[in-house]
Amino acid sequence: MKKDTEVNMMHGAGGEVMGELLVTLTAFKHNNAGGIGLESLDDGSTFEIGGKTIVLTTDSHVVKPIFFPGGDIGRVAVSGTINDLSVMGARPVALTCAMVIEEGFPIADLEKIVASMDEALGEAGAAIITGDTKVVEKGSLDGIVINTAGVGVVDEDSYLIRDKALAPGDKIIVSGTLGDHGLAIVAHREGFDLGDQLKSDVAPLYTMIAGAVRAAPKGAVHAMKDPTRGGFAACINEMARKAGVKVVVDQESVPIRESVASAGGLLGIDPLQVANEGKCVMGIAAEAADAVLAALRSHPLGKNAAVIGEVVEGSGVVMRTRIGGERFIEPPMGDPVPRVC
Amino acid sequence: MRCGRIIVRGIVQGVGFRPFVYAAAVRFGIAGTVINHGSEVEITACGDRFDAFCREVSAGPKMAVVDSVTVEPLPEEAVVGDGFSILPSADGARTGFIPADIATCDACLADIMNPASRYYGYWATSCTDCGPRYSIIHAVPYDRERTAMDVFPPCGDCSAEYESPQSRRHHAQTIACSSCGPKLSLLTASGGEVATDDPIRTAAELLDAGHIVAVRGVGGYHICCIEEEAGRLKQLLGRPHQSLAVMMRPESLKEYVVPPTDAEREMLKGPVHPIMILDKVDPVSHTELSELHNLGVMLPYTGLHHLLFGHLNHPLLVMTSANAPGTPMITETSYISERMGTVAEYILSHDREIVNRCDDSVVRDGYIIRLSRGLAPLRTAMDLGDRQILGVGPELNANATIYKGGFVVTSPHIGNIRNPPTVAYLEETIAKLCSLTGAKPEIIAHDLHPQFLSTRLAHALAEESGAVLCPVQHHCAHIASVTTEEVVGIAIDGVGYGTDATIWGGEILTGSPADGYVRTGHLEQVLMPGGDLATKFPERMLYGILPDDATLSLLAERGWDAVSLRVLAQTVTKRFNSPATTSTGRVLDAAAALLGVCRERTYDGEPSMVLEAYAARGTPQPLEVRIASGSGGADVLLTSEILRDVRGRLACGMGTADAAATIQTALAKGIAELAVRSAERTGIRTAALSGGVAINRSIRETILAELARAEIPCLINPQYPFGDGCISCGQVVTAGVLAQEGKI
Ligand SMILES: [Fe+3]
Ligand SMILES: [Mg+2]
Ligand SMILES: [Zn+2]
Ligand SMILES: [Zn+2]
Repeated sequence: MKKDTEVNMMHGAGGEVMGELLVTLTAFKHNNAGGIGLESLDDGSTFEIGGKTIVLTTDSHVVKPIFFPGGDIGRVAVSGTINDLSVMGARPVALTCAMVIEEGFPIADLEKIVASMDEALGEAGAAIITGDTKVVEKGSLDGIVINTAGVGVVDEDSYLIRDKALAPGDKIIVSGTLGDHGLAIVAHREGFDLGDQLKSDVAPLYTMIAGAVRAAPKGAVHAMKDPTRGGFAACINEMARKAGVKVVVDQESVPIRESVASAGGLLGIDPLQVANEGKCVMGIAAEAADAVLAALRSHPLGKNAAVIGEVVEGSGVVMRTRIGGERFIEPPMGDPVPRVC
Repeated sequence: MRCGRIIVRGIVQGVGFRPFVYAAAVRFGIAGTVINHGSEVEITACGDRFDAFCREVSAGPKMAVVDSVTVEPLPEEAVVGDGFSILPSADGARTGFIPADIATCDACLADIMNPASRYYGYWATSCTDCGPRYSIIHAVPYDRERTAMDVFPPCGDCSAEYESPQSRRHHAQTIACSSCGPKLSLLTASGGEVATDDPIRTAAELLDAGHIVAVRGVGGYHICCIEEEAGRLKQLLGRPHQSLAVMMRPESLKEYVVPPTDAEREMLKGPVHPIMILDKVDPVSHTELSELHNLGVMLPYTGLHHLLFGHLNHPLLVMTSANAPGTPMITETSYISERMGTVAEYILSHDREIVNRCDDSVVRDGYIIRLSRGLAPLRTAMDLGDRQILGVGPELNANATIYKGGFVVTSPHIGNIRNPPTVAYLEETIAKLCSLTGAKPEIIAHDLHPQFLSTRLAHALAEESGAVLCPVQHHCAHIASVTTEEVVGIAIDGVGYGTDATIWGGEILTGSPADGYVRTGHLEQVLMPGGDLATKFPERMLYGILPDDATLSLLAERGWDAVSLRVLAQTVTKRFNSPATTSTGRVLDAAAALLGVCRERTYDGEPSMVLEAYAARGTPQPLEVRIASGSGGADVLLTSEILRDVRGRLACGMGTADAAATIQTALAKGIAELAVRSAERTGIRTAALSGGVAINRSIRETILAELARAEIPCLINPQYPFGDGCISCGQVVTAGVLAQEGKI
């Protein structure tokens, strides 16, 4: 395919096309401060201070609609950053908050957003300690953009977890049902009346993840990532590719809510290809899988956690289907293109 | 006395070329030698009747394909002794190719049935005219040590026949008998041996008693049972509606199908022995075998089949390839008990390795539907220049094609390239074609669809080898597979990624591969609500074409719930996940949905096949089609109006069969009209037809008749399928033409 000369919406969809744009945007020569740097494209990056590993991450949030069943842009902004720190094994300590607001945005909505951010901070035990605000002319953006950056620290009883260290033999665990956020947003935004109530899963995962990491011997969690944009499909493909391994997922054991599956069925959308905002994907040493799973399930956010597959030699991500067939789980490409003859 | 060196190029391996030359030399009193270089046979000859000998060998034996014959003087130092001898094979330039597997010939069949013959009852009897070829070869030149027969050293009798110039099996690489050759065994589903002195007879008894038996054939496993068990088999396979191919004795044909034409009969019992789709005597009979008006039949094509039918009391056996739909045919016995253990109760196996998998070929109305056993690898002479080219094919019904040094070579059918085993099989097949032809592709052509796994494979292969990539639009490849001339191309198809990033499939493409094609006509653009979901549930497609209240109430009557209906309507109004398409297949899907004859697609092409089966019993009523003007001046056939019109007639009591026939005929006439207009506008007075919809007899014949009426001859490539089995070839042809033009 021809390389694009201008940025288009496909570049933001989290699929393969976005990868092309990232090549341009990560062309920094100064990209590493003595730890994990920008070149790793991990959930966050690290540097050392006083013998402690500090994790730093940042994320800008635009969500349409701003308020949706199960949450709002504020909860997404805080949870996203906290989750990026948490999946690296860090404890979120402090966040920043920068808001770019369109002229005419209701103050009452801002109040609701701030309250919701505060609630999420409380759930994770973190704080927003600095911020910035810009107001732009009407029409120059759609409502509001919220950027949060976060600093976390890797505590003594935890350890730094990457997204690239899956090893053959590992069990793949997801912390709960997949596709909830993406389908809730789509249905709500487009005004689909699906009968069933779809709700976003947006939540800060720190306490759940911390419990799971500590439930197994140090180092047993080989890799972890949060399946946000591009969904589980993009996330697991990235993990497999970075580790140079193949992941085999068992269709039967992938937790998907009935309402999400049927909404996906009505709209022709694969729940594995849409965003989650309150889930993590882990690669665990096989012998530690039971302990980690039990710890996850004991937390309210991890009730539906499940072992869904395993890591083997090879490449790519394959789903064993109910009827004994196999198919690839492919990273989404932005818009799906029909391919059935 | 005259001497010379004769070089014969072409498919000269595996066809008994050297023994043929030997016999001629003896007959014409020629002294000298013959050697097989893999792709050419080199004959050194001296004798008084040199010219006559030359003429004789230039024709080649029955199964050979001779591309060229050159005769040159012998070098000074050449010494020709007395007599004639066959020299061992040498490695040479691989412009020739290995022939496809050949059905057991009449002479071998007579041996198998003759109690006095040492081949009596031997299942793997073959000669230089018949037997496995492609399916057993590891490498060229084709000699026993480079085939699966290597592990069966011939016994004294077989060696003697192999050496004897008088024998039909002189230098037959597959020669074997019951004492030295591959052996059969009968196993239970779990792999345990069944005690029997005659595995074939016992298998026939088990089949007669209603058991399902997996039978290892030439290119893979079949799952077999008698007609009475067909329904159970379909349930077990999870294919409740798909037709099953059957094998029967020639004398049983008349009970089931209308008599084939002479040409069809020749093909049925010729070297290919394909599955032939023939109309049933009674269109609504034998529904467990086929719910359609036709049935896929083949005749026994190996010694094993002939012996099996010798013992069988039932007139026919269901013989469906053992695999999940779209995945590669199973070749390994361990795999069959693992994967088909819940389906097959017994396994009739043999110990001859299947090196290269090969499904049965499928033919209908003389046109190839699936290019495979007996037909492929298919080799065609065509000058596409000096560069070597690989075409990786599309995604569904795919195969691969290589071009090297004046020849286009296409692999047997591979399947749907969308699951890991089939992708692996495509990769294997490409490697095999490259090794057999000695090609190192410098250009890799692939489909324009960005998400096809074959496209990704092309990228990966190009990265590895440094080859240049050449994306080819799907329907341009369809037309290029027919001709490189300037034509009005008619591509009627399921789905192809268009150059405007929408989904094409009902296109008039005018031009040539060298100068490109202009989309001078197409079907109306309609929506596919839910994307690929609309192909699975044709009623979605109906609403995509006729998004109105009448469709909604029709669907409500059929039991759609309120939520689903509302979401379907919203999907279309908002154009949410509803890509636009001009596909012909989708119009036929929608027609099947309108008539209520197919509500869920359970196998590839089901809605349009069911529609065709109904149409075959109906009479088309006149229907005026409308053609509008689209963007860029293209003519647009308003397919929604055809369906709306027929919907009105259904409400007034038109019968299902007549409605089906009316839609098909109107659509075909409309497509022909698009082509005629393009021909008139551009002055290009030749058409070319391709695309899977052309398999539909009534649509194809209507288009051809309309074109003939307008005095526009229409080209068809009879060597390639109308469907996507021609795409890899079209890709290679396009890339080759562009390379020659200096555009790649
Ligand atoms: Fe096609
Ligand atoms: Mg992340
Ligand atoms: Zn023979
Ligand atoms: Zn023998």
